[in-house]
Amino acid sequence: VDYVRSVDYLMYGLICVVLAPPAAVFRTLQWDTDPSALQLQADSELGRRMHRLGASKIVQIDFVPKELVTYTKETQTPSAAHQSEEEEEDEESSELKASPQTDQPEEEGEAEDSKEAHPRELTEEEREQILHSEDFLVFFERSVSVVERALAEEGDIFFDYSGRDLEDKEGDMQGGSNLSFNRVFHDDHWSKHRVVTCLDWSPQYPELMVASYNSNEDAPHEPDGIALVWNMKFKKTTPEYTFHCQSSVMSVGQIVLWDNRSHRRTPVQRTPLSAAAHTHPVYCVNVVGTQNANNLITVSTDGKMCSWSLDMLSQPQESMELVYNKSKPVAVTGMAFPAGDVNNYVVGSEEGMVYSASRHGSKAGIAEMFEGHQGPVTGISCHNAVGTVDFSHLFITSSFDWTVKLWSIKHNKPLYSFEDNADYVYDVSWSPVHPALFASVDGMGRLDLWNLNNDTEVPTASVTIEGACALNRVRWASGGREVAVGDSEGRVWIYDVGELAVPHPEDWSHFARTLVEIRANRGDGEEEGAVELPA
Amino acid sequence: MLDCVVFLADCLVSVSQCIEVIIGGLDYNQNKVNQWTASIVEHSLTQLVKQGRPFKFIVNCAIMQKSGAGLHTANSCYWDTATDGSCTVRWENRTMYCVVSVFAVALTC
Repeated sequence: VDYVRSVDYLMYGLICVVLAPPAAVFRTLQWDTDPSALQLQADSELGRRMHRLGASKIVQIDFVPKELVTYTKETQTPSAAHQSEEEEEDEESSELKASPQTDQPEEEGEAEDSKEAHPRELTEEEREQILHSEDFLVFFERSVSVVERALAEEGDIFFDYSGRDLEDKEGDMQGGSNLSFNRVFHDDHWSKHRVVTCLDWSPQYPELMVASYNSNEDAPHEPDGIALVWNMKFKKTTPEYTFHCQSSVMSVGQIVLWDNRSHRRTPVQRTPLSAAAHTHPVYCVNVVGTQNANNLITVSTDGKMCSWSLDMLSQPQESMELVYNKSKPVAVTGMAFPAGDVNNYVVGSEEGMVYSASRHGSKAGIAEMFEGHQGPVTGISCHNAVGTVDFSHLFITSSFDWTVKLWSIKHNKPLYSFEDNADYVYDVSWSPVHPALFASVDGMGRLDLWNLNNDTEVPTASVTIEGACALNRVRWASGGREVAVGDSEGRVWIYDVGELAVPHPEDWSHFARTLVEIRANRGDGEEEGAVELPA
Repeated sequence: MLDCVVFLADCLVSVSQCIEVIIGGLDYNQNKVNQWTASIVEHSLTQLVKQGRPFKFIVNCAIMQKSGAGLHTANSCYWDTATDGSCTVRWENRTMYCVVSVFAVALTC
């Protein structure tokens, strides 16, 4: 039948036959594609004329592929000057005077001595040149830092161990109190009138802590955002390192990376303000993974989660929109990963809901919703003390509704609600070593330590910080013995926690029993409609 | 032979007009691209046949989406170089490439 144009199998197995009038009749030809056969045909049928057959020239069509240029590093840190280390050794042995100007000819004179046979006075221009050279500045900054430590420390700087001991003894002598004030970090120049937006302890050097601050309203021409690194070990009162940033840190939605190795104070890398990255304020930043293979995960208040490689901040490795039930995106205010997990995490939102989500897998994105808070969730923390019993399914949240709630990933209603506060609770944090201990801070300047094995109704230890208005952030040091608290005036308070922080082996099983009790009380009809979620 | 060359020049013009009419200004659309290749081939062939020359025609059309991949083709013919010829038209826009090859083999009778 010539005019059946096409036969199609449509979706549900129906066969559709398209009939069309014969527009052009195409006769099927019997092709004998063997070239020698063609030649024979040509010879026999068209033998009248002699055809000289030849090959035509080859027609080539090329579309070149688009070259994708990828860089593993967007920026290069300048290599540190090695000679500064040698000069420094010379410096430490000699005594430094207060003004650098008078020092200068002396140092340079010594250096010159070693290089040249005869000493000579430097001319003014040479002096200026050296003063402004990068090598000198690098070296000078470094040695100023070292000398400041020496000046602030009482006693022998080479035996800071003894200094530390004294501090510890003092703590013990205060009658075994649970929360004792250690010190406050405050820099009149940099941190005054700035709110502490975030704190973190360095994983490599447990005495170092970085705090970020937002803009200083009183000084508009100062940089908007700064991060200061404080050193717990030495008594000096100035920060170790100061970093500047043009936009308020954690306000516009850019992620900036400062490199401690380069001696610049401005960010080494920053992410672009583009639609591919974040366009809303970034409230949560987390580095997940091991030291070698890690990713930076960031979430902004428009519900966008991006995963970055620290080498290349020009665009995210992957990005995902966090939406619940395919409706509007979640305005995320806090994010936490359970210990050891790099895929699943929990986020708190502005509406007061908490969601669990995963980065990869068939269910990538928001999974479950946890209802309970009546106000925006301000802080969220996953249990991360490792011990005999696994509590990694637990997390706690703090909110503007004056409560802290304890949850398990397995239930979408809270396990317990802690209602001892009388103001917005701004942050919570589990202890890294004790399974039943966590800290919370609120807007009245109160720092509470809750030990759930002790009491679940009231905090086990509590202190109202004198002279602080609202406490914004709380973070435990990695050893679990100190707590850093940031306030709205730019001060970072360090508190020693004492005996309360030390976990005992039976604390884990005790906490498991506490949890059973909590669940039993809850099951008495308090929370209705709680749904047991699949693991 | 000159005749052939002139004829091929005409081929080129009419084929490129065909392409422009059918996919000019459109973006690559996977649902429609089959229709496009079929109509380009059909219309070009009709135009060529309309010229009434004593030729057998072979028209080939390829549409490729611009996705950063590379495409490389080549062809060659063994025929009477005096009377037969081919021409290739390359056309592109922002989202796709279109290549139409026409082979004209003289009819001797």
